[in-house]
Amino acid sequence: MMLLKNWLSQLMVLFHSVKDENLEWQNKNQAQQTKLKHAQILAEDALTAKLKKRSVELEHEISLLKIRHDSELLMFKTKCNQDVKDYEQYLNSLDRLKKSIQGSYTHLPEAVAFTIHHHAKFLLNNMWEATDMEQKMKYEMQLITFMTTVHEDAKLHLEGATSKQLPENTLKLIQQV
Amino acid sequence: MIVRISLLLLLAALLAFAVMDILVWLAIPVLPHLLTPLGISLLFSGFGLLLITGLLLVTKQVFKSFLDYFSNHQRIQRRLLFIAQKQQEITRLFHLKTDKITYFAELKRKRLLRKNNKKHLRTLSKTINTELFALKNSISDHQFKQLRADHLRYKNSQNIDALLKLQQQITSITRT
Repeated sequence: MMLLKNWLSQLMVLFHSVKDENLEWQNKNQAQQTKLKHAQILAEDALTAKLKKRSVELEHEISLLKIRHDSELLMFKTKCNQDVKDYEQYLNSLDRLKKSIQGSYTHLPEAVAFTIHHHAKFLLNNMWEATDMEQKMKYEMQLITFMTTVHEDAKLHLEGATSKQLPENTLKLIQQV
Repeated sequence: MIVRISLLLLLAALLAFAVMDILVWLAIPVLPHLLTPLGISLLFSGFGLLLITGLLLVTKQVFKSFLDYFSNHQRIQRRLLFIAQKQQEITRLFHLKTDKITYFAELKRKRLLRKNNKKHLRTLSKTINTELFALKNSISDHQFKQLRADHLRYKNSQNIDALLKLQQQITSITRT
């Protein structure tokens, strides 16, 4: 019984000494602990302020981005509508070209007029549908050359400068393709 | 500290069971029956203490996470991430809207082209019909029927190239 009592009291002494040591350590390092807590709070506040500033900057950037996108979309839509109108005018001008060829060459077979018109439309569609800029320029040059040749042939025929009944140069260009 | 206490309790329970075993071996009558509940209660207390401490720690962690979630720092961080994602969405939306405008413009252009092609197909078909009927008496019935069938077939399939070739064929027959 005494042995158990001694053992228990030694245990309590050990328990208290551990607690005393802990309290002594806390007292000794109290200043450092306070300093650390203070620094932690300051750092957190600084980070929060930085994040807040960044979010305000981003919100501002987003509103500028929205305005820029809206204006770019409007310009792009206008450009696309204009392109479609240009295309319509191109088609109408090719129709007029066919009529002018039929008017310029009195005995021209209709097949030739239709072929010239069809070829011009083929070049126009190639130019419009080309995705590569280089190809687009190439088809555009082909179309311009073709239209110029058609007009030159018609002009020469009307002036009587040539005895040929067909637009020979134009037909040569069609055969080359 | 709590772990130490619970380990001490478990150790005490083991000791009680060991003593109980020794007493049973020594055939001492009453004491083992008294020690058994003591040992069991010490064991349960040890484990119970560990369990309760664990539950308290988990609860404390959950509560801390809950407070952290609604803390200034995390709210602002979430707001920042939300805004950054919104910026990406706006950029993606812009590209999609551009694609949409391009698609509808191309659709309009193709509609114009189809309308123009139909118009020319009608004119071409009318011309071929006129030329074919003008040629009817100069060619055989079989040839006329063949040319007419070709004309109708190409007209129905809206094949302008084939109609042009047919017209050129009719023109060359007319010349000969």
